[in-house]
Amino acid sequence: MNTVQLERECRSYARYLIGQAPSAYVIGKYRDVHLLSDAAALDGFDRFLVRVSARGPFWARMADTYATRFRENSAVHKKLVLMLALLECSPSSFEIVEQVQGGGFAGTVLLLGREVVRYMLVLIISIVVFTPVRLAMALSSRTGPAEARQP
Amino acid sequence: MDPIVVVGSGASGVHFALTALRKGRRVTMLDVGHTGPESVRPGDTLNGLKQNLADPVGYFLGARFQSLVLPGHSGEYYAFPPAKEHVFQARNEFQLQASGFSPLYSFAAGGLAETWTGGCYPFDEGDLSAFPFGYKELAPYYAQVAERIGITGTADDMAAVFPVHDGLMEPLELDEHSAVLLDSYARHRDYLNAKFQCLLGRARVAALSRDLGSRKACSYTGRCLWGCPSQAFYTPSVTLAECQAYPEFQYMAGLYVDHFRMDAADQVRSVVAYSVGGETHEFATGSLVLAAGTLCSSKIFLESMFRAKGKVLELRGVMDNRQILMPFVNLRMLGRRWNPNSYQYHQIAIAVRPPNSESIHALVTTLKTGLIHPIVQALPFDLGTGVSIQRQIHGALGLVNINFPDHRRDENCMTLDVASTPHRLVVHYRPESNEPDRLTRTIATFRKILLKLGCLAPLRTVHVRPMGASVHYAGTLPMSDQPGPLTCSRHGAHHEIQNLYFADGTTFPALPAKNVTFTLMANATRIAEEAF
Repeated sequence: MNTVQLERECRSYARYLIGQAPSAYVIGKYRDVHLLSDAAALDGFDRFLVRVSARGPFWARMADTYATRFRENSAVHKKLVLMLALLECSPSSFEIVEQVQGGGFAGTVLLLGREVVRYMLVLIISIVVFTPVRLAMALSSRTGPAEARQP
Repeated sequence: MDPIVVVGSGASGVHFALTALRKGRRVTMLDVGHTGPESVRPGDTLNGLKQNLADPVGYFLGARFQSLVLPGHSGEYYAFPPAKEHVFQARNEFQLQASGFSPLYSFAAGGLAETWTGGCYPFDEGDLSAFPFGYKELAPYYAQVAERIGITGTADDMAAVFPVHDGLMEPLELDEHSAVLLDSYARHRDYLNAKFQCLLGRARVAALSRDLGSRKACSYTGRCLWGCPSQAFYTPSVTLAECQAYPEFQYMAGLYVDHFRMDAADQVRSVVAYSVGGETHEFATGSLVLAAGTLCSSKIFLESMFRAKGKVLELRGVMDNRQILMPFVNLRMLGRRWNPNSYQYHQIAIAVRPPNSESIHALVTTLKTGLIHPIVQALPFDLGTGVSIQRQIHGALGLVNINFPDHRRDENCMTLDVASTPHRLVVHYRPESNEPDRLTRTIATFRKILLKLGCLAPLRTVHVRPMGASVHYAGTLPMSDQPGPLTCSRHGAHHEIQNLYFADGTTFPALPAKNVTFTLMANATRIAEEAF
């Protein structure tokens, strides 16, 4: 269990989801969940997405957008859902999670339009960035086990 | 004189017991009786808890994060509150195998209704057509229970399907979303009535709009789902506590009742129960009242008959309400701020009465203070986008819980697997062959009704719950005025074992599309009042 890496993930995810750094309480809880859960072995690409997503909110969005579309039940998405659950239950951050921007129906349509456009753009960029990495990893893992089988 | 022995402290058991105690009878209640934690910081609102608790994540997600809903879960739209986990805590002695049925059962003090949502809907004359009594005979007991527990409601359009009995309190304050829905209905009432035979109105709920005894009126803390801190919301443990104030009442928790023994004249002589440590206890009884819920009461009966007669019986006709959950977005509520300090369970009820068919009954919950992470992850976006969108639509989200009626059919049955140790209850259930068509038609109808009310219900989010999910089980030893094997009298007495009574849903000969709990309480009160 790499606690430095976990803290880096936690900070990146909180800034991605609510635009703020997490409290010490949230960081502690994030660490606790990982201590309690069965640490199932991640495949290479999942590990890569988690590592990339910890670099900052932009990369967290990129990794999550790609994972949501092409890696159902990926580790990065699960970690982000966990982060959201912690933020929505914790002092101060719960208010940001629930903060309505207002604007009624028209405001919501505008916001929805903006969010969908941003989502599409990020999705395209994430495909361009991550697909070659994924293909390369898939190819190398195919050759990897074959080499390992050699006496 | 031996006391009346009541098995189970759920909605039926406690109302039977309280009525018998008020008549001066001695009552011993045997119960497993799991209990949960004490309510925390009763003066705080839901958001106050998040702000003030030392470990709010532990409270909302559980010490082991067991209420965290991660992608890939197969559950429903709510994360189950950790404080209510005791309600479904198992006992090893009770083993069950089911096909076509996903049953829930409880060994908690107060039973399954410790997690109910408070819907109190009296059966009308049509609902009771298969019962050996009508609404007129049950109405005084509905009123009696209403006065005991406190039920809010009003005589609006829904009175056509929910008879108005005495003892109703004025309704609770409406939340903004429910008020918008009622307003939409008022504007389209004639169309909805004519086109869909659809009625909409205020829910009847077991929550206090004014003080009742030591219980305080709802203070709108928004904590309903997490456990009402002030007992304004009724659960059977309130009545259990009331029973415990009587010196003639003995509550024996920690006991799993396995079977009863009979004498040579086929009368119940004693009840056999096991404690957690495995010790056997036997209690002499003058009358035995099984009120452990249809599954557990049926299991006790089957086990007892097997031990007494060496026969494995088959109890036919088990029923349950099929339920559909239909999430929706109310366009008029988009981007509007909402008040979390409001009543959280359903405030609106809907009835649809298709021509030449039975009523379908639905409850509308405006989702407000449930955890949002299960919802956001279901949106077709990355989580960051999902959170942004959720903020704008949260106040507009709602959930319709549609209930369907059920009828006794021979192929749906319970029996005992005596080859297993301990003996296992076996339940077989198969829906009617025309059910898929009926569900499809009903889903289409409700989506149209919601659209007329200004709400969108995306088809892909509609969830048909498995049979057993409603926990409205009934019908294995039905009441009938015609004595027959495996039937009971109108007072729930077994026709052949005359000091054996069933005070729960076991004896219901039909199951209309309504929450059954209020009728369970009224019927148990009726049995205690008229037969003891």
